[in-house]
Amino acid sequence: MNRGFLSNSELKSFQGRVYYGVVVTMLLVLALAVIFPFLYAFTSGLKGSTEIFTSGLNIVPENPQWENYKTAWVEFRLAKLFKNSMVIVTGSVVLQMTISCLAAYSLSNLKPIGGRIVMIGFLLTLMVPAIAYFVPLFVTLGNLPVLETSLLDSYWGLWLPYAVSAFTIFVLKNFFERIPGEIIDSAKIDGASSLQTFIYIVLPLSRSIIVILSILSFTGIWREYLLPLLIISNPEEQPITVRLIYLADNYGVNIQMAAAFTAMVPPLLVAIILQRFMRDGLTIGFSK
Amino acid sequence: MASNTSYHDNELLMRPRAVPLQRIWSFLSRQIVAYLFLLPAILIFGLVAWYPIARAFEMSFQQVSLTGESTDVGTANYDLMELDPAREIILENMLEFASWSVALGYALPVILAILIREMRHAKSFFRIVYFLPTVVPISIAVIVWRFIYDPDAGALNELLSFLGLPDQLWLYDPKLAKPSLVVVMTWASFGTTTLIYLSSLMEIPTELYEAAELDGASPLQRIRHVTLPHLFPIMSLLFVLQVISVVQVFTEPFLLTNGGPGRETLTPVLHIYRRAFERIDLGYASAWSVVLVVILLAFSLVYYLVNYRIRKIYSD
Repeated sequence: MNRGFLSNSELKSFQGRVYYGVVVTMLLVLALAVIFPFLYAFTSGLKGSTEIFTSGLNIVPENPQWENYKTAWVEFRLAKLFKNSMVIVTGSVVLQMTISCLAAYSLSNLKPIGGRIVMIGFLLTLMVPAIAYFVPLFVTLGNLPVLETSLLDSYWGLWLPYAVSAFTIFVLKNFFERIPGEIIDSAKIDGASSLQTFIYIVLPLSRSIIVILSILSFTGIWREYLLPLLIISNPEEQPITVRLIYLADNYGVNIQMAAAFTAMVPPLLVAIILQRFMRDGLTIGFSK
Repeated sequence: MASNTSYHDNELLMRPRAVPLQRIWSFLSRQIVAYLFLLPAILIFGLVAWYPIARAFEMSFQQVSLTGESTDVGTANYDLMELDPAREIILENMLEFASWSVALGYALPVILAILIREMRHAKSFFRIVYFLPTVVPISIAVIVWRFIYDPDAGALNELLSFLGLPDQLWLYDPKLAKPSLVVVMTWASFGTTTLIYLSSLMEIPTELYEAAELDGASPLQRIRHVTLPHLFPIMSLLFVLQVISVVQVFTEPFLLTNGGPGRETLTPVLHIYRRAFERIDLGYASAWSVVLVVILLAFSLVYYLVNYRIRKIYSD
């Protein structure tokens, strides 16, 4: 039975029932507090421009103004902002997964001389927090060494930095190492090249972990603010995280709330629908 | 086995040098193929991670323009830090932010995980609901939070007056600004740690609880002697990670308070950002980055050593 520190019979006792009721109430109150900002944004977005400033804890609007949401959608050009974010994040995740899978396959199966040193090089980037080099990263992207071009105001200026994830390489490498050697060997005996083994054997066997890592990276990069703020200055191309807050002050609070709530819905839906994957992804780093 | 050797012998007699050459070639081609697979990652890591990290160190000894032209200035940037009026305040703020964050958000996920683990119903509801804020971009959540904290019409002050308490200035109050920001930071992150603790709790075999119960351990004793010891390794790791991430906070103070009131919420990264992109002093900003990394590494190292000592004492 799925007991915890309390046994089922203890929970059924009088004290157990009281304890259970108190805990459920506490958890529910906290849950309400945690989702309050979402509820508040939703209902404030439905209020009129004067109603929102009337005093009192009137969470529910008297006369819901649904057109606020339409105004926010049009004025903030939310469709375009979602699209920009989508392009930035999808490109980053695809690039990250591609280079990470290739590198992890090499390190786990082809085992080149010096591979350990390369892996240590990858892992070193986990020791240095990203903020320690966002200034030189900006300078580097503004004037690439050797290539002599600038990636400022180009999505490559975000795709490249977000492609770098030592964590993804590390997890994939460990996963690839657990693929039974016999499967790989039999492919080799059948005459498959390294690339064919990688594409037809290793990748299909690792679908689940690749999906989990992609979702994790996707939601992580979607939330990014500082680097897109620095790299993309063209308002037509900025992601939603940068543009929305920049525009917000030009509008009334009720329109701001409607826009903010709309912007929060897709990530929330993703979290609810893909919760199992996200949970698995978060605990990968900690399972031993 | 015998036929196998003779086959090799024959081949050796016929083409004495072919086999070693072939071996060298196949060895080389395997190395080349392996490195071709590694190449994209090495190039990109080099360009946007290794090189900028090295450059951060180099830039801290230079004067650098926005376009990257640099001239060596020796240790002038570090000397300047000594004179920076914001230095003391930033270091103090760093400590205060870390303390507030630990006070408000360190034990909470542990307690929540233990309580949720005990739920017989709606476990998955609680698992997802605390996790929801962690997927929302901070720069968007901030729009809602600054209205919640609004002194005139915000929900918090409305709640206070409903309870008959005096209004507060929240983000504009030098005393409340830090905890107000830490509440937002905690809201946005404690769901992740709760899930990590929860998944760790699921690994505890129920037999351990049954055995403890049979030995007459009260529920609290079972938590003390079974649950917590199991969580300690993760708790100590998450402690370091939490402190490190709080020290690096940028978006919340940048968008909610812009470092104010006064310099109450000026954080190291906000200072680095301003020096680099408002005062266009990228070399000085890099010197701050280097110092910050040194502080964080020193903290992790000291913490690790102390932890190691304590564990050794316990196991002896």
